[in-house]
Amino acid sequence: MKVYVCVGSSCHLRGSYDIINLMKKNIAERQLEDKVELSAAFCLGKCTDGVSVKFEDEVVCGVNKENFDDIFSEYVLNRLN
Amino acid sequence: MNNLCTDIAYNSVIKHGEQLCGDKVELIEQRDNSYVMVLADGLGSGVKANILATLTSKIISTMMANNLSIEDCVETIALTLPVCNVRQIAYSTFTIIRVVDSEEAEIIQYDNPQVIILRDGKSIDYPKTVTEIEGKTIFKTKIKLQENDVFIAMSDGAIYAGVGKTMNFGWQRDNIVSFMEQMYDPEYTAKSLCNLLLDECNRLYGGEPGDDTTIGTIKIRKRAQINVLFGPPSNPDDAEKMNSLFFSKGGKHIVCGGTTSSLAAKYLNKPINTSIDYLDPEIPPTATIEGVDLVTEGVITMSKVLEYAKHYLESNDLYSDWSFKKDGASQISRMLFEQATDINFFVGRAINPAHQNPNLPISFNIKMQIVEELSECLKKMGKRIKVSYF
Repeated sequence: MKVYVCVGSSCHLRGSYDIINLMKKNIAERQLEDKVELSAAFCLGKCTDGVSVKFEDEVVCGVNKENFDDIFSEYVLNRLN
Repeated sequence: MNNLCTDIAYNSVIKHGEQLCGDKVELIEQRDNSYVMVLADGLGSGVKANILATLTSKIISTMMANNLSIEDCVETIALTLPVCNVRQIAYSTFTIIRVVDSEEAEIIQYDNPQVIILRDGKSIDYPKTVTEIEGKTIFKTKIKLQENDVFIAMSDGAIYAGVGKTMNFGWQRDNIVSFMEQMYDPEYTAKSLCNLLLDECNRLYGGEPGDDTTIGTIKIRKRAQINVLFGPPSNPDDAEKMNSLFFSKGGKHIVCGGTTSSLAAKYLNKPINTSIDYLDPEIPPTATIEGVDLVTEGVITMSKVLEYAKHYLESNDLYSDWSFKKDGASQISRMLFEQATDINFFVGRAINPAHQNPNLPISFNIKMQIVEELSECLKKMGKRIKVSYF
């Protein structure tokens, strides 16, 4: 599974740095390195309140530290199972 | 016409306890790519020395720039300078370096420590002819230039550095020569070389200089063009034209901005690989596109570059940040401040609707302002700047 975290200007200001670190941490803790390929992407064109993350071809907007766990479960863990 | 240009820098430290510097450097651009630098050291220190040095450097540089002979300059100074009441003389030593088209240099020296010339990092001896003008012994030199020639002019504060503090007799010109030969790196700009030596003098003085100390450096270097693409064009149909003009330019290419880089990637028909490495939490990661030297995010990165540029022109206290760090802003700073002599900005005026949000400090106006302010800063660094808007 390919996951792209937007690091464009707008998302950067809204916390791409934290989201990337949370992604790295969660992937490492669950030993998903073989299954999830984490990348960065420039502006995904969906600048909203929060960071945009693309899971395969689906862009999820408004990711922040608070909803990160839910989104990670829904889009990564559920789909991998 | 050759492919060389003249990079000039100077800086002083003031004698401990004084408020004015008794040394003065005047720099005049005689015409395109021809310069006259005058370093004058006024007798004594403080106000009196400052006035003597200012008059001397100003008179000589103005007269030389108008092609008057050195004899006329010295005569004028001798007749103009106010005579010191204590010493009954009007006195200011000076060093003049005139560089014409980065091809030939003329050095005229009166009583300052002899100019050091480094060729490929090694000090060379150069011929001098002696002339007496108004009772003053003046040394003249004409020399053909090569790429990477470095001229170091200094006031005598440089060779007295350390007297009675860190050394008994200060460090002599020979010590300065060995120091500069050791430290020399072909990548260093005139400004780096100048500050390197001045910092060392200041260190030897224990931070409390016993005399005004001034260093002027001139480096003959190859012209290097760098092109910066920043922002998508206001009319999307112009993207092709903008990119083709940008990529047809010689030299290095920097692409700044998310949409901008996808347009460039499309034009080049190559993929963008965005790096996941946040080297600095403040600066978004960079990306790579085959055929582009550096790809970065836009406004945030450029704001940081502008901040570095402003510091560079003043205290340069952020040098240790951008001079080695690998984030986008530091990389752009090194390329623009140190490598480039000619910079072409290709600025797109498209407004990113997603950025027009009062909560975001990245609006369109800020982008235009960054370009203007950064161009001004780079001009002050002696770069030739061209800005085209699309």
